Amino acid sequence: MITTENLCKRYGKTDAVRDLNLDVRAGTVFGFVGENGAGKTTTLSILATLMLPTSGRAFVGAAEVTTDPAAVRRMIGYMPDVFGVYDDLSVREYLAFYGTAYGVTAALIEQRTKELLNMVSLEEKADDYVNALSRGMQQRLGLARCLMHDPPVLILDEPASGLDPRSRIEMREIIKGLRQRGKTVLISSHILPELADMCDEIGIIKRGALVACASVEVVTARANGHRQICVEVLEGGLAMADTLARHHFVSDVLTCDETRVDLLFAGTERDQAELILDLTAAGYQLKTFREVGGNLEDLFLHLTSEEQAAEQTASALAGSAAGQMA
Amino acid sequence: MLVDAIRHRLGWWMDNPLLRKELRQRMRSGRTVLALSLYLFIIGAVAFVFMYVNVQGQTLLLQPTRTADLFTFLSYLQLAMISFVTPGIASGVISGERERQTLTVLLTTPLSPASIIFTKFVTSISFLLLLIVMTLPLYSIVFLFGGVVPSQVLAVFGLQIVTLGAIASVSIFWSTWLRRTGWSTVFSYATVGVFFLGLAVAGYLSDNIANHSPDQGVWGMVSGICYSLNPIYMQASLEASLGFASPVFHQSIVSSVFSVVQSHDLSSTESWLSFLYLYMGGSALLLVSCIWRLRPGTFAVLRKRLVRWLLR
Repeated sequence: MITTENLCKRYGKTDAVRDLNLDVRAGTVFGFVGENGAGKTTTLSILATLMLPTSGRAFVGAAEVTTDPAAVRRMIGYMPDVFGVYDDLSVREYLAFYGTAYGVTAALIEQRTKELLNMVSLEEKADDYVNALSRGMQQRLGLARCLMHDPPVLILDEPASGLDPRSRIEMREIIKGLRQRGKTVLISSHILPELADMCDEIGIIKRGALVACASVEVVTARANGHRQICVEVLEGGLAMADTLARHHFVSDVLTCDETRVDLLFAGTERDQAELILDLTAAGYQLKTFREVGGNLEDLFLHLTSEEQAAEQTASALAGSAAGQMA
Repeated sequence: MLVDAIRHRLGWWMDNPLLRKELRQRMRSGRTVLALSLYLFIIGAVAFVFMYVNVQGQTLLLQPTRTADLFTFLSYLQLAMISFVTPGIASGVISGERERQTLTVLLTTPLSPASIIFTKFVTSISFLLLLIVMTLPLYSIVFLFGGVVPSQVLAVFGLQIVTLGAIASVSIFWSTWLRRTGWSTVFSYATVGVFFLGLAVAGYLSDNIANHSPDQGVWGMVSGICYSLNPIYMQASLEASLGFASPVFHQSIVSSVFSVVQSHDLSSTESWLSFLYLYMGGSALLLVSCIWRLRPGTFAVLRKRLVRWLLR
């Protein structure tokens, strides 16, 4: 539904997007993850026809963004990362304005306004002025605005940014609901775990290039292979670190002292249980053995920190994805 | 076919969502009502005082030539209002959208950059047009006492509307090309200042140089060009050609404007028609550049479509 072919965008000497190849299937939610300045917003802006690519092509459905932007605009609902609202309009008027701009009939506007305000839990605010709404409510209204013309594709640029935890959860639930409505959603974020819950596929972008792209299951499995474990012992932590470093499922010992060792573990939960038995058998008096940090976050940091590591992981993910598809 | 197309376009304009939204936002605020009332009150008071002073309280003494003077005076007051108010309204129409971060979303709707720019242009001048139309009943006082006929009033209003459109276009141009409304406002007023005052000063200096220079013809031509680009002088030119060439504002700026118009022979139909064409053409060019600026790909897409159509 959304495809890019060697998409490039250059600002002077800086490559904002480099040879980006994306393929978002119809009816799926695709998470587009990257650090600030990685090229997410530029890519989404090109797809939303706000910007021309330097080279390469991008399609929404069969429409190409540079040659048929009008068709693309009709097919998408775009929500930028930061957007304003018209202060002197009521919520109802705000939605009606955008509905009319897309050529939606008055009767349908009324019907959709009711439905969408109900969906984003703003039905009681229908006659309030837009500037009287909280930030979270305005974000939800923005999402309702995107859906006024019932587009098959939604492009959401960090829709939950700047929201409090409750509003983030509400936004997440609404987006999950969109998948059930059959919408294709391309959503960007710089927080990988946030997307894992609602996305079917995830693409990780770094310095304008896609470093990983796979289904959430593959990414999660890969993330689980890089779990950070903290082992606390009563004594002999340094010696235990030596033992652990030689263990074939321990990919790295991060820190160690006399009572604590932090390591990256690449095995399964069964391997983890066996490691505990091995350490106990070796005479170490274990106080705690626990997982620390968000797995997906660790993977994200791992992917976006070292280029070489990222390339290795990308090829590994590509291999996993190919295996899964086969 | 053509009638259907025109009807379709007119229907679209009547149903243009941006136009309706802009007019609704602009017209329903209390400030608009206050501004309209205040303007009408000031113009009414000025007209009353002018007439009262001229007839010293006895309306029977009012002569048609004096009502022509009143008309000239009011028309200059209106031109001053247009030059002051238009940049204030139009210089934030696009930069304001950009600052409020509503422009991005607007550009992803099917509304074309051309329709956005022209709607902004129409809504910018609509308030001023309303002010001008609102003063028509005051001008009817002038008709009541004779001295001016409606066609003359319409001709002067026409010239003022073209000037209003040009100022709005300049302001929208700055608003589209500059990111900040503050800068856009400064540049808009500066441009208006150059056209209204700068050209008058340049014309005056050129005249003085011409009087003391062997190249009298060249400097005389320069001053003629400066005056013929200035809306103040061109309004005088039009009014002079309509027969208001001898105002009673002795020793006033208005009378000096009229004398300059006569000395440079600017009160010809060609002079103010050239002015109208130049201002309308300039406005159109500025608005086209705004369309290009608003979404840089607009012309690239048109070019690609043209090539595709030619290859087909």
